[in-house]
This record gives sequence, C-alpha cells and structure tokens, in this order.
Amino acid sequence: MPWDDPRVFQLLSLILLGCGLMGLASRRTLLGMLISVELILNGAGLNFVLSDRFFHQPFPRGEVFTLFIMGIAASEAAIALGLILLIFRRRQTIDEGKLRELRG
Amino acid sequence: MIAEVIFWVTVGLVVLGALGATLSSSLIYAVFFLLLAMGGIGGLYVYLGSPFVAMMQVLIYLGAVGVLLVFAVMLAGPFWLRPKERGRFIKVGLGVALGTGVVIALYKGLRHHHWEAGPPHVSSAEALGRLILDEYPLAFELISLLIVMSILGAIMLGLLSKGRGKGDAMG
Repeated sequence: MPWDDPRVFQLLSLILLGCGLMGLASRRTLLGMLISVELILNGAGLNFVLSDRFFHQPFPRGEVFTLFIMGIAASEAAIALGLILLIFRRRQTIDEGKLRELRG
Repeated sequence: MIAEVIFWVTVGLVVLGALGATLSSSLIYAVFFLLLAMGGIGGLYVYLGSPFVAMMQVLIYLGAVGVLLVFAVMLAGPFWLRPKERGRFIKVGLGVALGTGVVIALYKGLRHHHWEAGPPHVSSAEALGRLILDEYPLAFELISLLIVMSILGAIMLGLLSKGRGKGDAMG
C-alpha cells in the first residue's frame, strides 16, 4: 500500500514547505504572503502526524501538536487579517513594497 | 484498488493546490487552491490513521480560516486596484530558486535514510484528550489564552480601522 511508506508523506510536506517559501518570497501582497504561511503550517502539521503514525509511539503526541498548530494558525490568521484590513483602510494598498516606514 | 486510486488523487490534489496557491495570479483563486490543498491534507490524515485530526482540519482550516481568507480578499479593495501578483522577475526567480533549493536539499537528506515504519494504528479522540489534559495542560491553556487574546486583538483592530485615514470610502 502506498500509504504505508513514510516517504510519500515526507515528500508531500516538503513540497508544501517549498511552495510556501516560494510564495513568501515572490508574492507582492500581504494576503498572498499569509496564504503561503498557511501552506507552511499545513506542511508542518502533516509532518507531525506522519511521524506519529510511522515511528510508532504508544501515545499520539504528534497529533496533539498538530492540534496546537491548528489553534495557533487560526489565531494568527485572525490577527493578520485584522492588520491587513487596518493597513488597507489607512493606505488603500496591501502591497508590501509600499509599506516602508520601518525601513532603516 | 479503489483506496489506492483515491489516495493518489488526494496526493495530486494537494500538490495541485499548493502550486496553484503559490503561482496563481489572482488572490481569490489562490485562496481556493489553498482550500483544495487543505482539504486534501485532511483526506491524508484519514489515511494516516487519525480521523479526529482530519475532522479538526476540515472544521478549522476549511471552515474558519477559509472563510476568513475569502472575506479578507473581498474586503481588501477591488481587484483592479490591487498590485499585480506577478512581481518583478527577480523576485519570482528568487522565490522559485529558494523553494526548489530547499526541497532538493532536504530530499537528499531524506532519500538515503532507511525509515523503519511501524504497524498502522488508529488513534482515538479519547487518547488525544487524555494526552492533552494529562501531559500538556499548560500548552493547552496557553493556546486558549492566545486565542482569546487574538480575538480581542482582532476586535481592537477592527475598531481602530473604523473611519480613520484619508479617502476612507467605507465610512
């Protein structure tokens, strides 16, 4: 069975990490970058669950950490979207290249 | 046989969703591709023997985060005022190089290791609950506190953004 091989899942979570990094570097709007961060967090969750399933522990610790990651991702998304809406209403843009007050 | 077909289709959906969420030039399509990838990962959690996490994935990511992202895309202005998602060529090239470089470097490390896979098992919600409340109560409480603080923070940001700034068309 293909799902008894950990390498399929490891490669998949690696692809998610790579796509997330790619989007984080190449997107121009804050929302696009937030979507990429969600991809990275999903890859991390998949990695935790697969290590829990394959490198068998008596207790499902990896799944517990995946649940924690989900909680953190949800609160992070809420805060980030509030910030994005605030920035958009004040500046009429969410282009990260135009937000440069903090540049040294 | 049918289970294998469904598995590979799910894997394909996750890869397609990840690539689409990264490379799509329209933000709303990127959000929908992201939802596709998240749903596919929920299906893979079932194959990994953790149905509770799969259910939580559907509830939290597809339900909560997906709706939040769709609303944010709709509220962040009309699409013709947004900057083009395709940035300068050097940025896209840098992103592609970074992503593929990390994937290739980590895959080289993974390939040569022999992974000893254990027998399949299905973890119950009861085991998860016992583990959370017996071994990680502090982390659990801290995450609850974090979620409450983020809700309060989101409300504060919503109040702050009301009717400020020049040219605020939304009142």
